[in-house]
Amino acid sequence: MSVFQKTGPLSVLHAFMDASRWRASADKEASVHNDMISLYVLETGGCEGCAMEVESLCGSAFALDRYGFRRVADPADADWLLVTGAMSRACVQMLERVWNAMPPGKSLVAVGACAVDGGVFGSGYATIGGLRALTQVRRSIPGCPPSPQDILLGLQRLAGR
Amino acid sequence: MSDMGKVIRSGERVALSHYSLDAEQWEAMLAAPGATLPLLSCWADEHRVYVLLLKGDCPLMASTAVEDRRYLAPSSRFPAAEWGERVAYDLWGVEAMGASGEGQPALDEGVWEATWPLSSRPGPGGQAARPVPGRTVLPAEKSGLTGPLELSFDVVRGRVQAVSVNAGLAHRGVLHRMIGLTPEEALPLVSRMTAGGFVAHPVAFCRAVAQARGLQPGPGVRDCWMILLEIERMSVHLFDMARTARAVDAGLLATHCEHAREAIAFACAEQGVSRRLTDLVRCDGFRAGLEIVPLAQAVVSAMQPRMAQLRELQSVFAPRLKGLAVLTPTQAREFAVGGLVGRASGRSLDVRRREAGMRLDALRSTGSSEGDGAARDALRLNEIRDSLALIQRILGSIGMDDDEPAPEATQEGIGAAEGARGDIWYWVRLRHGKIEAVQARDPAVSLLSVLPDILKGELPEGLPAALRSLALSPSGVAM
Repeated sequence: MSVFQKTGPLSVLHAFMDASRWRASADKEASVHNDMISLYVLETGGCEGCAMEVESLCGSAFALDRYGFRRVADPADADWLLVTGAMSRACVQMLERVWNAMPPGKSLVAVGACAVDGGVFGSGYATIGGLRALTQVRRSIPGCPPSPQDILLGLQRLAGR
Repeated sequence: MSDMGKVIRSGERVALSHYSLDAEQWEAMLAAPGATLPLLSCWADEHRVYVLLLKGDCPLMASTAVEDRRYLAPSSRFPAAEWGERVAYDLWGVEAMGASGEGQPALDEGVWEATWPLSSRPGPGGQAARPVPGRTVLPAEKSGLTGPLELSFDVVRGRVQAVSVNAGLAHRGVLHRMIGLTPEEALPLVSRMTAGGFVAHPVAFCRAVAQARGLQPGPGVRDCWMILLEIERMSVHLFDMARTARAVDAGLLATHCEHAREAIAFACAEQGVSRRLTDLVRCDGFRAGLEIVPLAQAVVSAMQPRMAQLRELQSVFAPRLKGLAVLTPTQAREFAVGGLVGRASGRSLDVRRREAGMRLDALRSTGSSEGDGAARDALRLNEIRDSLALIQRILGSIGMDDDEPAPEATQEGIGAAEGARGDIWYWVRLRHGKIEAVQARDPAVSLLSVLPDILKGELPEGLPAALRSLALSPSGVAM
């Protein structure tokens, strides 16, 4: 039985100490990396499934930093741009804006089937059909949507780790 | 029956809940004395304009012909109809006469290859819209939402005023792609309509298709769909709570919500289904091999032990959400805002309560009239509690027969499902087994119409927290 009560004044302290126990991913074996890769995430008009799974990966259920990645809120701080969604025509300007704000040496990663070629949405009057319509997609992570574990494995593979 | 209901029912009945009105009847409906029936959705194509209303807890639909590319605007009576009228103009070039709004584009940002792309007479593509000088813009990538939605607004004495919403960034033209497909062929598209409804959208669609075909899903299918909906509800509520908590620096609450959501996903994966329950719903039931009882038991076991701590943390951090993005009960009623957001603002609509076979005793949460971020978060947790209770009640009597009769097959059907973020509705019309016309209504649409009122007076830097608390899904708005 826990020495901390589940509810009442000590419960917040209990919750704080409990946070890592509830962590779902078995990431205690991950090695610590000094060369962090900064990720900026951009959703471009899909069902948001991939964006929500990236969100899960970047949350506290996974120790992303232990694998050598961190999420940043400003594209000017980013090394890799993670794109999710089918790329609506209206989002192309946003993609250009974010891409141009990133420093040199940047990379583009398509996360999920839609980001590669539009997935189930394909191309039409409102969508261009993924990044493939704009550029050669060299880095991608398949899935519809890929799980956070799949995305993490994909990122590690792309980073050569 | 209300006067408006009487006028509608004076039209020609073309399906179970659908009445075709002539121009005079349409005008009479919009001018009918007495109470205005809540509007669920308004849409139009080149030939007809439709309104889907709620009479009591049952759908009531009216339509009339579009003549010379014009029709009398439903928004003259139903304020929330304005969004559908603008969408109809962008897609089909049909014009609403006497519309209540300013007629700004809804979806067309001027970057499509054609103007009125679905029209028989499309025009050349337009020019990209330029931002109005002097307006502050919250670009889509900084809105705090998981999908692209841009806001522009004025800042007066440090507060947000006169908000305009640009929701067209997320438009994919999904409904148009479904035309000409069989319902079974269209289901993969419906299953990716929006990630907050990987289960709820297909269930609503399949219910509409079943009604059109004159079928009634059996009690086993009904209960399976109900359980999947409740698992999805818990998962999405946890996601929305976590995202809101992060926006107000309540990291500990966010952490526990994220871990709980991940535990549900893990339990699903362990039971051999996808983490977010994608592609499980079929028109005739569910994916072969799905073992719903062990799945439900695994999810309850994963979630139940976490509830006390989540409750405690939610109450500790609730003051940070007090007064955030208030939707008043009057606004909720006027714009027919349903779902969790509506229930936190004094509107009691929950389409689960009208479903045959529902174990009503499990639905204990009574909502709130506070209408702010704190009320929404507290309600999310109450609804998770109810979901756990409901799943256990269903497991106690799974497949219980209720002798619900099958409807008459009219090739037209309306289906609904109470998704995590609100009531989802589908209307389909079949011809020779294929989809001739279809419309979907996501709860985000009703929220969109009232969003400028909700956000008025917020601090500009507080907008991402407000949007997250409302759990607005751009993919649901724009489709």
